[in-house]
Amino acid sequence: MMYRAEQLYQLIPQRPPIVMVDVVWSATETEAETGLTVTADNIFVRNGHFREPGLIEHIAQSAAAFAGCGTFLRGEEPKLGFIGEIKDCVLNMLPEVGTQLRTHIQLVTEVNGIRLISAETRIEGEMVASCIMKIFLKDDE
Amino acid sequence: MEKNELIAKVNSVLAEEFEVEESIITPDANIKQTLQLDSLSLVDMVALIESEFGVKIQPADLAKIQTFQALYDYLAERA
Repeated sequence: MMYRAEQLYQLIPQRPPIVMVDVVWSATETEAETGLTVTADNIFVRNGHFREPGLIEHIAQSAAAFAGCGTFLRGEEPKLGFIGEIKDCVLNMLPEVGTQLRTHIQLVTEVNGIRLISAETRIEGEMVASCIMKIFLKDDE
Repeated sequence: MEKNELIAKVNSVLAEEFEVEESIITPDANIKQTLQLDSLSLVDMVALIESEFGVKIQPADLAKIQTFQALYDYLAERA
């Protein structure tokens, strides 16, 4: 199932101008493909390039959207996620305005509500960024 | 894999990953205390065990695995 635009609000708790995923192409129990087209009005764009915090936020929201696909299918509200740790982070380039990021999220494991995911972000096949991220998903009280 | 071989490998990979002396890893020692694991690094241990031994520790089982001996036994039954 593909999600675009405001459908994504069913998957992630973020709202404009901080939404850093504009499409989920696919999602399974263990992996997802997400995307973002970098626009000039993106709050993380400076001098025509999408900056490092935006890339990290895009990956984090991709992981949140991946988790959100599961909660959405169960009819639940999206959960707030917190980045617990980022490691092995490599940023190869700062994407230009107009480019489309494509991110592959792979669930490595999940323990006590903490998800360990690996992420790779590419533009037309070229590696932009990769990292391992731990994300804590907050359960509703 | 023989159990002695498995124990040696478990000790080796955990000592290297969590930067502790292998000599402090003993069968009766508490895993979390010995490796100084918090809730975040516990996830690393589970991922490491899965990648090295092909065994996914189930959440319900994780709570029961307190000592290295319990971990060796768990892996020996499944690896």
